[in-house]
Amino acid sequence: MTATTRTALQIRIEAFTFHGENTPVLSGATVSVAPGSLTAVLGGSGSGKSTLGKLMAGWLWAGHAGEFRGSLELGDTLLEFRGAPDDPRINPAEWSRRVAFVPQDAAAMLSSVRATVAEELAFGLENRATPRDDMLRAVERTAARTGLSDLLDRDPATLSGGELRRLAMGCAVITEPDILILDEPLASLDAAGAAQVEDLIRSLRGAGTGVVLLSQAADGLAAEATHWIVLDGGRTVRGTGLDGGTVTAAGTPAQLAGSAELQRAGVIGIRGPGVVGPGDVSPAATGPGVVGPSVVGPSSIRPSAIRPSAIRPSAIRPSAIRTSVVGPNPAAGARSPGPVPVPAPGPGPGSLELRGVGFGYGADARRRGVPAQARVLRDVDLAVNPGEIIAVTGPNGAGKSTLLRHFNGLLRPSEGDVRVCGRSIAGVPVGTVAASIGLLFQHPRDQLFERTVLREAAFGLRQLFGKAEAEGKARAALAAVGLSGTEAAHPADLSASRQRLLALATVLAREPAVLALDEPTVGLDQHGLAALQSAVVRAAATGTAVVMVTHDLAYARMNAHRVLELKDGQLSRI
Amino acid sequence: MSQPALTITAPGQAAGRRRRLLEIAGAAAIAATYIFLVLTQPADIANGPASFSALVALGGFLLGAVLLIVAVLPVLPTSTVVLIPVALVLNVVLGQLMGGTGLPFYIDAIGTVLIAVLAGPAAGAATGALSSIVWSFFNPTVLPFAAGAALIGFLAGMAARGGLFRRFYFAPIAGFVTGILAGVVSAPIAAFVFGGTSGLGTGAIVSAFRAMGDTLLAAITKQALISDPMDKAIVFAIAALLAYALPRRTTFQFPFVRRYRVLAGKAPAAPDA
Amino acid sequence: MTLGHRDYDMRPPLHPFTALTAAACAAVVTTAAAYSPLSVAVALAAVFLAVRRGVAGRVLPAAAVILAPLCLSLLVLHGLFFPEGQTVLAQWGPARVTAEGLGFALELGTRNTACVLVFLLFSFTVSVPDLVSALAGRRIPPQFGFVLASTLTLVPAVAVRLDRIRQAQETRGMVVRRGLLSRLGALRLQMVPLVLALIDDAGSRAQALDARGFGSRGPRTSYREVADPPAQRRFRAAALLFAAAAVVWRIVASWPVGVPS
Repeated sequence: MTATTRTALQIRIEAFTFHGENTPVLSGATVSVAPGSLTAVLGGSGSGKSTLGKLMAGWLWAGHAGEFRGSLELGDTLLEFRGAPDDPRINPAEWSRRVAFVPQDAAAMLSSVRATVAEELAFGLENRATPRDDMLRAVERTAARTGLSDLLDRDPATLSGGELRRLAMGCAVITEPDILILDEPLASLDAAGAAQVEDLIRSLRGAGTGVVLLSQAADGLAAEATHWIVLDGGRTVRGTGLDGGTVTAAGTPAQLAGSAELQRAGVIGIRGPGVVGPGDVSPAATGPGVVGPSVVGPSSIRPSAIRPSAIRPSAIRPSAIRTSVVGPNPAAGARSPGPVPVPAPGPGPGSLELRGVGFGYGADARRRGVPAQARVLRDVDLAVNPGEIIAVTGPNGAGKSTLLRHFNGLLRPSEGDVRVCGRSIAGVPVGTVAASIGLLFQHPRDQLFERTVLREAAFGLRQLFGKAEAEGKARAALAAVGLSGTEAAHPADLSASRQRLLALATVLAREPAVLALDEPTVGLDQHGLAALQSAVVRAAATGTAVVMVTHDLAYARMNAHRVLELKDGQLSRI
Repeated sequence: MSQPALTITAPGQAAGRRRRLLEIAGAAAIAATYIFLVLTQPADIANGPASFSALVALGGFLLGAVLLIVAVLPVLPTSTVVLIPVALVLNVVLGQLMGGTGLPFYIDAIGTVLIAVLAGPAAGAATGALSSIVWSFFNPTVLPFAAGAALIGFLAGMAARGGLFRRFYFAPIAGFVTGILAGVVSAPIAAFVFGGTSGLGTGAIVSAFRAMGDTLLAAITKQALISDPMDKAIVFAIAALLAYALPRRTTFQFPFVRRYRVLAGKAPAAPDA
Repeated sequence: MTLGHRDYDMRPPLHPFTALTAAACAAVVTTAAAYSPLSVAVALAAVFLAVRRGVAGRVLPAAAVILAPLCLSLLVLHGLFFPEGQTVLAQWGPARVTAEGLGFALELGTRNTACVLVFLLFSFTVSVPDLVSALAGRRIPPQFGFVLASTLTLVPAVAVRLDRIRQAQETRGMVVRRGLLSRLGALRLQMVPLVLALIDDAGSRAQALDARGFGSRGPRTSYREVADPPAQRRFRAAALLFAAAAVVWRIVASWPVGVPS
């Protein structure tokens, strides 16, 4: 097919409601995609971007997945849906051959039953009874296009994140679709991986494919778009935590950059999440400069103005802190936490201390592939004082998460000692150390298990604070991360961004002496970043020591008192 | 352009009739095998005739399970097919976790029952039979029990359709009844194919009945009537617990749950098509 | 639990169906013969082949885990309590050791051992991708191959996920105490995120599979080619005939009295 015969797609959504829910997850949205164009649908977490993409691509079908009122038009086929039993039924295989979708979680695209990359690419062709010779040619062509030619014999389960993303895109484009819809194609890719994906998108557009980008960041790729559509989940929470998305603005990037709609929707600006300093929280929540005209221009942030070094340390004793971590009305202080007091390293013990910690995975039976000499940590010393915010950065695979897991004993050092509040945790069970150390993982879903948000935040608090105080503490923690009003919702029904905040709230509610965060910014939209920011700053202000691990150096510099780099198993200040 | 249509129509009736016939044939094969084995059970199992019964039990039950799979599998929606591996892994993993609690039960059907509750009796039966066949890859001794596993999945689905999962205390009762039927149907396999049960606890119960002079089949059937109903009651209760812990959006994506109002307190907001 | 079906030092020269037919026929013939020396011979042959193919280190432990409780239970059950037995060797109260009971335990024990070993040998040597591809080529519903292969990829993934959940929950202050209730409570908390994540993942996988044509009913082709030499086809036909003959012989030989044939 050539660009001239490529067809266009238009979706008009009056309302789409999942079965069993009262409010539509999407309403009042129209998206048109022309051949060779790049349309960016921008919106915060939970705005319904993925639902929109799946509806366009026939991954969600009217009647089967939910009630759809609206229309879909592909080329000269117009399908009208009225939410009635005799609505047309989309043939997902045929529709997706022409409108392909790549989900945010690239692994979900894979069949999970093919042994090599080549067979995985061919899976969709096999199901359509493509003759074998055509299949071989198509696999070769697609592999060359997606840069997978050298990986064709690899097991898909062994691919890196960037390779997996390209394989998922290859699986989508092997049928030569007219339209390609990409859900957060750059999420959790490093710079090199992102560049390869961006190149692939450009080459597809050049060949006439209409591309739709679903993203919560108005990043460099979105800046190349011909058209922007802003999808706003709305801030209203109807007791369930479920938001309904609707289109609030549409136009060219130049028209929309810096618009109020973009900010309200919670879209992250071009410079990424590193926008606020510890002492500069309140304006950032909704303020200008987050997504400004600078989306396509140079950065105008002046880091020196908000460097934590400008903040005067003051001595706060840990014992005094523990009693006043969450005041009687923490929500009142949320708006303006004020400057962060960093206590002087006084005579008392630090909140967290690592002395000469060394660790290697060699002894671990489950990691037999790793050579025994692979030392992840070597003679690591670290001391964190109450109220201090420390960021640890480093390249992928440097052992940042491994370091974090030593703080509460999930991993035990092969040399050296870890001390929390002055006491060694050697031999102390993880569940007991957890009273002093709160650790937030990258995957919030592993950490959440209760039926409602409130029960989730209140889990285990009775043992710590007694029955009378437990619920109050839980509500205060939810308020601190901006989740008030969602208490009755099921945690799994929250948006990805809010699930992370809920996981943070469960940690904050326990009022730990040390807060350890693993890649806290990943998956958060702008609203989520602001909530994280204020929660972390306020925790630090009340004397909690914070250690965050992040790959984002700009964010680290902006938000921490000290930035350390983990490289070759050792920590150094940068 | 002679391209396939972008829309599809509902499947025809002829295919449905042939599928129903296969289902009936499968169920009939299992029932006939059971009756035949009980009627002709050898009075003297010591001199080799057990081998005849073993072949009949294996052949009849496996044929029944395969017929059921052939009837159901091709028409299961993909959203149900992808749950079968999940059920299988849950059967094994949750069974192992429960084993860690030290309870004297095998608890090896939680996944099957959960899928039956979410996707209905046909899916439950296919899940039970298929998970036995696939798991025999790791442990060949579960293969002959495919028919019993299919029965458990089917009955769990029927219980869900009948609304027994709407009240929490009905679920173990349904499990208890299922356990009786499944235990009785599986007893000939244990008796004739394996000559006993795997495990010393159940073996001791069988020994006790044998000491009283029962035939092997009778002894194993009685043993099954003692342990299986309790086991399945626990399994059904756990499956109900899990089904209620799942968020609404997850459970309501299953047409079976919506159509038969399987779970209490989760009525659809609008009448469903 | 991880069998590692994917990587072998040596590719099996056998078509997956040839190996499967051989295993199934060996099991059927052993069952039909009901002759313990033959059962022992089949079991030894399976062990020999496992050693030669270099999988004995995985087949034998897996077989031991299955067979040890089964055989022990058979020995206790039939060795001590066998009311049909005539030749009493020893007696303690209600327990009687009879020659017939011991013989029965031996016969069933060896038969079960032979069948389990033969099938485990098959599953530890077959290449699952080849098997799935061969199944798809024989008009067997593609869903069957999917369930088989998907389970094998899911098992290690679930183990990893369960480990992650356990870590995350310990981090939230969950201390598992010894009591049964405490352990059951902890179990519920681990199960919920696991089941939820698995069902959610399955939901999006189903959408992806449908989009990639998995749900369509029409014919399919296969990218992977599995060689099926004519000699192996002839072998399969002969093995099936032999097994069928053994079954017929057994049925004729011991058709129960009183049932019209």
